Amino acid sequence: MRHRLRDPVTGLLFVLPVLVLFLIFRIFPSLGAAGMSLTNWNIGGEWDFIGADNYARLLDDVNFWLSLRVTLVYAAVYVPLTLLVALGTALLLHQVVFMRGLFRGMLFLPYVTSFVLAGIIWRWIYEFDGLINGLLAKADLGPVAFLEQSAVVLPALAVVSVWKGFGYSMLILLAGLKSIPSSYLEAATVDGAGAWQRFRRITLPLLKPTIFFVLVIETISAFQTFDTIYVMTGGGPARATYTLIYGIYDHGFRSFDFGYAATWGMVLFAIVLVVSLVQRRFLDRGNT
Amino acid sequence: MTITASRPVAAAGAVRAARRRRWRTTWPLAALLALLSVLTVSPFVAMFVVALSPAGRPTVPTRWPESLTLDNITRVLASSGFATWTLNSVIYAGVSVVIILLTASMAGYAFAKKRFPGREAMFWTFLATMMVPFQATLIPTFVLVNSLNGVDTFWGLIVPTLANSQAVFLMRQFILGLPDELFDAAKVDGASEWRVYWTIVVPLTRPILATLGVFVFLWHWNDFLWPLVVGQSDATRTLTVGLTTLRTEELQLSVLMSSAAVSVVPCLLVFFLLQRYLVNSIAMTGLK
Repeated sequence: MRHRLRDPVTGLLFVLPVLVLFLIFRIFPSLGAAGMSLTNWNIGGEWDFIGADNYARLLDDVNFWLSLRVTLVYAAVYVPLTLLVALGTALLLHQVVFMRGLFRGMLFLPYVTSFVLAGIIWRWIYEFDGLINGLLAKADLGPVAFLEQSAVVLPALAVVSVWKGFGYSMLILLAGLKSIPSSYLEAATVDGAGAWQRFRRITLPLLKPTIFFVLVIETISAFQTFDTIYVMTGGGPARATYTLIYGIYDHGFRSFDFGYAATWGMVLFAIVLVVSLVQRRFLDRGNT
Repeated sequence: MTITASRPVAAAGAVRAARRRRWRTTWPLAALLALLSVLTVSPFVAMFVVALSPAGRPTVPTRWPESLTLDNITRVLASSGFATWTLNSVIYAGVSVVIILLTASMAGYAFAKKRFPGREAMFWTFLATMMVPFQATLIPTFVLVNSLNGVDTFWGLIVPTLANSQAVFLMRQFILGLPDELFDAAKVDGASEWRVYWTIVVPLTRPILATLGVFVFLWHWNDFLWPLVVGQSDATRTLTVGLTTLRTEELQLSVLMSSAAVSVVPCLLVFFLLQRYLVNSIAMTGLK
């Protein structure tokens, strides 16, 4: 009985440090973001309530729509590409026994490094006198201006993020592949199904929840890409890599227009929220 | 006797034959996997070759360097800026690991095994904050820290990153799986709540604490956006932020690549020592 009476207090005491941290640094800023988007908060900390003016400004802002387009195009290149690479390597790792551990480690290696490091290495790889153009020159080709052309720069950046990040999704998909009972595939083989048919009719349908999880996770990370852009292009050329996040940073820490930057943040929040809710709907439907 | 001896031999022969048959169909896949693995690590290899090439001399991709040298690396290690950034990164990652492990395991224990008013509501609020991307609250978090005079201080750098819902969630899920009897027995023996936590919860959760510790270390060591906006001078600038202040225009490529190479060493150490651990925990928990 004494324990039960003591429990509420001790339980709260154990949660207290995390509770205080969350209230101050997660929940308060989350509400603050919505509040700030309704003000013209500036670097001096002065502000007036300006209602929906920032949102009206956003809708009229050519650069906002351009940035939304850049973000969506980037995600449209990055997400399928990363799924393709992750699924391809996961299938290979699942099939090949020969030095599997070594190959898995090599493929996973970029994941433990930073996006800043990836940006620094790949900035050099893409440069005029960098790795790729150096190799192209040996074949009397190029040079290709990877980071200076609007049409090429987004796919070029997407490749960097795929290289840095696919190891994570590869491991998730590999775990999904391992959970498929081999008896299903053996039975199909006995029935005369070829490799493609087995993949198409058994592996793929059973892997669908895992693929969906990977798609959601990677879509969210596509919208959060910042480090490589900061290091490699600074939003250019001609705003071709000026994503939503870059807009938040640019308005906040270059123009110190905090109220308007918070408004850009609200758009990012809305997009991520929609993606997360879609995920939950699908997962709920999968469970029932 | 001869029969029992010959059977395993025959079985081993059959296994070897099956393996050979399998190899005949999978060797092209193994070759493809090897190629992809080599391609994946090649940017790192190129980085290390340039880092070890004599400064200003022709190197990859034009030609293979005539000799390798540690000069660039020692030059980088001796420069005061780089040493400070490294120390700052060690502090940022090290302090965060200790505090997050402590607070998240305490909260995880309370959420899993204690009854107190508002427990469920609190836990789900924590989970809901996962849906708010940090970048969307970047501006209000910065304004908050700025108003508390935390910009360019270590507490301003570290404390806002300690509210980590993934960590709390993971600890709670793990502790939920531990049998209640363990805690009840200790309490009957008259152990205080803190003693129960310290002598039962902590030792039993050691494997998951180790995994979480590795992830928190990597997250913080590789973190960029928050250290970028809050660490405005060399006094608090971390390694990732410091690296982006090095420009190739002023610096020889070999020195830049040496800095990048040195910055990745802790990640590589974690990778080589704990790869199996990392790989398994991603597959099991989905930690990203």
